[in-house]
Amino acid sequence: MGEYTAIGRSIPRLDGLAKVTGQAIYATDLAQPGMLFGKILYGDRPHARIVKLETSRALALPGVEAVVTAADAPARRYGNYIQDQTVFATDRVLHVGQSVAAVAAISERIAEQALALIEVAYEDLPAIFDAEAALRPGAPLLHPELESYTAIFPAVKKGNLCSYTRLSQGDVEEGFRQADHIFEETYRVAAAHQAYLEPHACLAGFDHNGKLTVWTSTQQLSTTHVELAAALEIPMTHVRVVPVWLGGGFGGKLKTLLEPICALLAKAARRPVKMTLTRREEFCGAHPRAPYILRLKTGVLSDGTLIAHHVSALADAGAFADHVPGTACHVTALAQGPYRIPNCLAEARVVYTNNGSFGCMRGYGITELTFANESHMDVIAHALGMDPARFRLQNLVAEGDEIVTTQRLRSVHARECLQAALAQSGYWEKKGQLGPGRGIGIAALMHDTGLLGSSATVRVNPDATVAIQIATSDIGTGSYTAICQIAAEVLQVPIEQVEMPTPDSETSPYDFGSIDSRTIYDIGNAVRLAAEDVCDQAARVAAATLDCPEAEIIHKDGLYFPRAHLEQALDMAALAAIAVYVRQGPLLGRGSWVALPPFEKPVGVGFSAGPCGTFLFGAHVAEVAVDRDTGRVQVLGMTAVHDAGKVLNPVGIQGQVEGGVGQGIGAALYEKLVIREGRVVNDSFADYRLPTALDVPPIRTGFVEIPDPTGPFGAKGIGEPPLLPPPAAIANAIFDAVGVRVTEMPITLEVLLDKMEGTSG
Amino acid sequence: MTERVALNVNGRDYSVEVEPEEFLVDVLRDRLGLTGTKKGCGTGDCGACTVLLGGRAVNSCLVLALSAVGRPVLTIEGVASDGPPHPLQRSFLAHGAVQCGYCTPGLIMMALELLNDCPNPSEEEVRAGIAGNLCRCTGYQKIVEAILAAACEMREPAHG
Repeated sequence: MGEYTAIGRSIPRLDGLAKVTGQAIYATDLAQPGMLFGKILYGDRPHARIVKLETSRALALPGVEAVVTAADAPARRYGNYIQDQTVFATDRVLHVGQSVAAVAAISERIAEQALALIEVAYEDLPAIFDAEAALRPGAPLLHPELESYTAIFPAVKKGNLCSYTRLSQGDVEEGFRQADHIFEETYRVAAAHQAYLEPHACLAGFDHNGKLTVWTSTQQLSTTHVELAAALEIPMTHVRVVPVWLGGGFGGKLKTLLEPICALLAKAARRPVKMTLTRREEFCGAHPRAPYILRLKTGVLSDGTLIAHHVSALADAGAFADHVPGTACHVTALAQGPYRIPNCLAEARVVYTNNGSFGCMRGYGITELTFANESHMDVIAHALGMDPARFRLQNLVAEGDEIVTTQRLRSVHARECLQAALAQSGYWEKKGQLGPGRGIGIAALMHDTGLLGSSATVRVNPDATVAIQIATSDIGTGSYTAICQIAAEVLQVPIEQVEMPTPDSETSPYDFGSIDSRTIYDIGNAVRLAAEDVCDQAARVAAATLDCPEAEIIHKDGLYFPRAHLEQALDMAALAAIAVYVRQGPLLGRGSWVALPPFEKPVGVGFSAGPCGTFLFGAHVAEVAVDRDTGRVQVLGMTAVHDAGKVLNPVGIQGQVEGGVGQGIGAALYEKLVIREGRVVNDSFADYRLPTALDVPPIRTGFVEIPDPTGPFGAKGIGEPPLLPPPAAIANAIFDAVGVRVTEMPITLEVLLDKMEGTSG
Repeated sequence: MTERVALNVNGRDYSVEVEPEEFLVDVLRDRLGLTGTKKGCGTGDCGACTVLLGGRAVNSCLVLALSAVGRPVLTIEGVASDGPPHPLQRSFLAHGAVQCGYCTPGLIMMALELLNDCPNPSEEEVRAGIAGNLCRCTGYQKIVEAILAAACEMREPAHG
């Protein structure tokens, strides 16, 4: 209160007016003179050899300007973790929905007509749809050359196994020997779509010098830049990527998808090409969240102390690794959840199947892990006759505890979060008092923030306006506003003076992107450093101008003056002008940031995690009503408390939490891609149910606001955490309501009805 | 196959070539350049393309452009085209009801119809009214708060 001028205030989002008036421009809104429309021909076999691919009839259709196939694309394989994919299917298709060819025409309709004229003949090959069976000897291989593929990590890969990770601490077998009780259970999490409202879209064109520019909906400008140049085998200097406003991403817009295809069409047609996916194509041809199987074995002493925990995860990547090895690595790193467990073994396998092409979603594996772990904690508490809240309070991690990655936890406020969530939800008063068919459930979370590098520049114009240059656009989270708040706070200028131009790979310094809840923490720190650099330069200019030692210059409220001589103060406008014209040159600050150096030696086996900047904790309480006749679950209330460090923008962070909880309700109860023999069955919003305003109850949000020592002004990253606990909190509330334990996510009507019929009379 | 028709959009008359099977959303976006109306599914399931047609909220991805002849169309661009933002737009901004913004135009158009029909809605009526508009970012809470607050502000002039 009063301490800060720009942060800690509910400043309305700076991109808000453009969005409420319909002026905000998304990739699909763009148009250029001579622009063509591109469409993709998707393979419709789960595994088949392409024996014929004839495009001449399509090319002959009036209005068609280009048809491209694998023959037009570099043969080189690319990929963010394992270089296992090509732009188009080459000799074989490995999943339904793999790109086989693409057309550019003067209208979308003509492009679609042309697709129907492409002649493809397949010879079906044995396909594999079961992740466990894919690991068995003799299973059909998706990538016979897998062992020769390049990976960015020391990959353990063989057969259909594309990644294995193993981390441990203590001695898990000894832990199980000491345990009084051992609990084993298998949790299954279905594939789900990120379901951002804006389908993928992209506009690509080449200029007269052969430089490619791509305007695209991406969460990761810099990595898209790298991957696109690699896929097309052209230097990064010949590729320019511009992200426009994003209609949501949630992990679904990290990797390239349309960009290489759109660029190849534009090159072949010598005209700009725009591509926009239909919703059906989104469901069948993008990269939805991978299905997971998590086997848990946990040992506990009679007094309720956790002593050993073994998590064995199996993720189905579909036909290409994409981000799935990363999610599996994440699952192992956070395997114990927010609990002190001295003996822990975390293993994850990622396997190729012909089920589709999967990627990641907000949570990056930890939604799945949290569903399993937090359901399991409830199972154990009930078996021991303990209240699930007391059981958790007894076992929570504390400051300085070491986790399986060997990193020591810091900034730990797990206990404060759980106690606040219990108090705010009225848990103790409600427990056991809610009446038939009603229940209350808890889930806790631990998440990391701070990963890989970010950089920023902050420049001050001669009129004292400030431009922040970073490479990551606001995907809807409010990061644009919060980043401007950080710069305004450091510089002590009104936020109205601060602007963040559209990121552009040609002018924006490198950043790892809007992923892993890192934007506020990592980019925020880079911007803070850049703004502090500006302040140092301004102080030097003030000292020289006022002929006073630099150490004597005070910076307060945007003024620079010698100690005890406020009357000599120079403001930012004066200093910027002096700097531009007569001293040192323009004020230009730079900040480069990476949270922590890597571990001294690699930990674990395979693709294992490095250290992260800091950790975030939280606890949710769900209240539900279950209709025993229909299996319908209504979520009556959600309480969500997080330890997000210093809150930079209260209304913004509430929105992040409410939105995460809303998605968590969908994840818990509805969202499941139904895939039969490699084909997505529910490929529309009519059949793939998302939560509506009638499904999401009022959400109580709370924040344990203790500044983190390493975050910008003490902030942590809140992006993913609110999605993690609701599925388990709801599963636990369902158990409280009707005494039925569901170990699948989502808990659909059918699954719950089936379980209830099995248990009740 | 195209036909030249007269459309009235946001109070302006347009003469525009449309094809018989062309949907209103595509004519608005591609032929008139009114890209504020968003397309999220093309099957009438998400509500992002909601506009008012003859004063009623419709999914413009399900309405043939030809059927809009003779009925005024209002899109997000026309809600406050020549003045300060509409109370609903201001309220969405002030209450943090906007995140990625892709559902926002459709939700504001839906709320406009809702408040025309029911100037003093309950929270339940607001939730039911916008149940056909999907939002993936907000969990709906701040959207509901924004609509209720705008309703309050819009009623006040009537009370003098």
